[in-house]
Amino acid sequence: MSLTVEAPPAERTGTSPSRRRRFGFHARMMAPGILLLAVLSLIPLFTVIAMSLSRVRLLGGVSFGFVGGENWARFFTDIDLAVQWLRTLVFFVLTVGLEMLLGVGLALCLWKIMRGRNTLLSLLLLPMFVAPVIVGLLGRFLTDSTFGLYSWLLGLVGYEGDLLGGTYSAFISVVAMDVWQWTPLIALIALAGLTSVPQPLREAAAIDGASGWQALRSVILPSISSVLLVALLIRSMDAIRYFDIIAVTTNGGPADATKVVPIRLYETAFRFFDLGYAAVIGLVMLAVTIAIARAFVGVLERKGLTR
Amino acid sequence: MTQRRVLDRRTVLRGALAGGAALAGGGLLSACGGRQDAVRIATDDRWRQFAGTTLNFISENTAPTAAIAANLRPFTELTGINVNIITLELTALVQKVALDLAGGESQYHVIYADPYQVLAPYSKGLVDLRELATDSSLPGLDGGFGDFITTQLDAAGRFGDGEAVYTLPYDCPTMIWQYRADLFAKHHDRMSADLGFDPTPSAERTWEEYFRIAQWFNDNTDDVAYGTGHQAKQHDSLMCDFSNVLWAHGGDYFDNGDAIGRYGTVDPGDCRLDSDAAIEAAEFYRRLLSVADPSSRTWDWNGLAPALTSGRIAMCPNWHEYAADNESARPGDFGYAPLPRGPARSANIYGGTGIAINGNTLPNERMAAWLFVNWATSPETQLANLKSSAGGGTPTRESVYQLPEVRAAEQRPSAMPNILTAPAVTTAWEDDNIGLRPKIPMWNECDTAIYTQLSRMLAGDVSPAGAMRESTARFNRIIDRGWAA
Repeated sequence: MSLTVEAPPAERTGTSPSRRRRFGFHARMMAPGILLLAVLSLIPLFTVIAMSLSRVRLLGGVSFGFVGGENWARFFTDIDLAVQWLRTLVFFVLTVGLEMLLGVGLALCLWKIMRGRNTLLSLLLLPMFVAPVIVGLLGRFLTDSTFGLYSWLLGLVGYEGDLLGGTYSAFISVVAMDVWQWTPLIALIALAGLTSVPQPLREAAAIDGASGWQALRSVILPSISSVLLVALLIRSMDAIRYFDIIAVTTNGGPADATKVVPIRLYETAFRFFDLGYAAVIGLVMLAVTIAIARAFVGVLERKGLTR
Repeated sequence: MTQRRVLDRRTVLRGALAGGAALAGGGLLSACGGRQDAVRIATDDRWRQFAGTTLNFISENTAPTAAIAANLRPFTELTGINVNIITLELTALVQKVALDLAGGESQYHVIYADPYQVLAPYSKGLVDLRELATDSSLPGLDGGFGDFITTQLDAAGRFGDGEAVYTLPYDCPTMIWQYRADLFAKHHDRMSADLGFDPTPSAERTWEEYFRIAQWFNDNTDDVAYGTGHQAKQHDSLMCDFSNVLWAHGGDYFDNGDAIGRYGTVDPGDCRLDSDAAIEAAEFYRRLLSVADPSSRTWDWNGLAPALTSGRIAMCPNWHEYAADNESARPGDFGYAPLPRGPARSANIYGGTGIAINGNTLPNERMAAWLFVNWATSPETQLANLKSSAGGGTPTRESVYQLPEVRAAEQRPSAMPNILTAPAVTTAWEDDNIGLRPKIPMWNECDTAIYTQLSRMLAGDVSPAGAMRESTARFNRIIDRGWAA
């Protein structure tokens, strides 16, 4: 974003041309908003940085006791946290990957359907409108071994275990809940992209004898790749902060199998009130999120899609 | 010639802007300014001197608070004080209380102070209630501090070496053995013959016998799917469930565990979970869970209770206040006993809590809050809670248990279903039988360490000895970091 605008003639306002160039009309109009944003973002950021170098006391008013790099040293030697980052990465790849695959697949199916598409789309989008915490509660009730519908159905086919009781099954269950909720968003974005693929392009591919798979791979997917990249960016930013469903269903268990970094952050900050160390975890999460966003924006820039 | 003052548009806008800024600034200043204390009225009625005051009481969403909320009118009529009750899940409550104490305000005047998550870390932010109890201008405690069950007053009300009392015991959930008395009666003779002992639950049974009873139900009857169920989710409940077995086997979290559980300390010393007794307890617990309902690993206390009432399991250790739900679901089908003995003793973990007054309250607010704390823990209110259809726990005062109508209610049919557990919990609260987890300010983190390792043990990721040794190492690291309130 550029704030530089063409400077008005100096004699009309009596201010120096150089100052005018730096703070033009638009800049002055935007300044209050930008200042407000800076206050809202920078003060908390610097506070969190200060917290990461401190031991925070709560009683008698919040106070910071400087401890230098103690919290950061702990961060780099915390094996549990390293495992939780790895688990978060696996979770991220699984959820975002499955959502992209299923979302694009569903969008392609919907795209081919001429009659009843809107009704089907409305049904498909329903999970997206449910709050994540409600999705978690629903998942917990449906998989409850005493009265859960899914448990009963699985019992009919011979599965006697408890979905949220096993380490692998619990992890797969929370992945499935996230995929159930957010695949429709990818489907919606992909469908919007598909409807904008030019008809002549598809006709040309057909005339050239391209099979369905060839047309999809060489014509359709490249045409919607930029839209898919935006969808990927949106979901990636969310997946790295995934919290609600796990907090409601497994709370990180069993045996830490579903403890991802946001759960650890919450636990450190609001159960242990170890706010200094929580600040370190939070800052690293922020850095990772920014890095992911920058990577996607970089790809979009290379494709010339940010202009 | 006088120049006529003209109000142009720009001047009007500037005026409006300045006026708005002044109003906003004034509002902010008044908001940041000194808080106003409650008004004290000159009256001979010590209960009504703060009439018109509004108090905020923050509590966990427990049955006793549900009963208090449903029965607030007598307090308002007695004092003229209005009480807003905010009920939350315990974790959320701890966050709100910590932030309220940090803010230096007293948004919450009366606090449900869990001994391990609020009292131990934040006792310095709470009022010593002895000052208010001995203030002659205020109503004193009916029966005095001595009327509260002694172990509960110490465990829920005090912290550290001093004599200060920060909370008055308000509820007293304690884990006991809950079982389907109808099934035990039905199969009694067969079980006795097969097992070689009288299976009727009592303090004389051992954990080993409990295990065999559970296995017998698994193998010999279709009345229930499993003999026993447990609250073994990776959650505080898993620590509670395991602690009964740990203490019964002679293990403990720290040396001098009884005193640390009862009075609390900031420096408990080295962890003792790597002792032979603790490892033996962990081995038994893993064996016990291997015959329990597999869903136990997903249940906390709220998941376990319906498993018992729905007929899925025949018995379980759970908080005694679930008796009301049991009796409501299957009247007359349940029995209650202290938990089994181990090689060392019977241990029944106590999960009671007191109510405290925020140390940031202003003098009159504090005295008004005392009226509520006093009333909410009074024998009359505890008796009313026992009868409440909205829930209610069991009393924390000795005198209530001695009332003829309460003693009569210990037998079926009972209008006070929770009191059916009185014989079991009275035994459970004896010094030799009560189980008190360490009352240390960093307990939340230690709790997470032990229940995570136990969860790993139950999942087969680590051996019982490995889980106990790893827990010990983590406890020691947490203790070494110390605590800054």
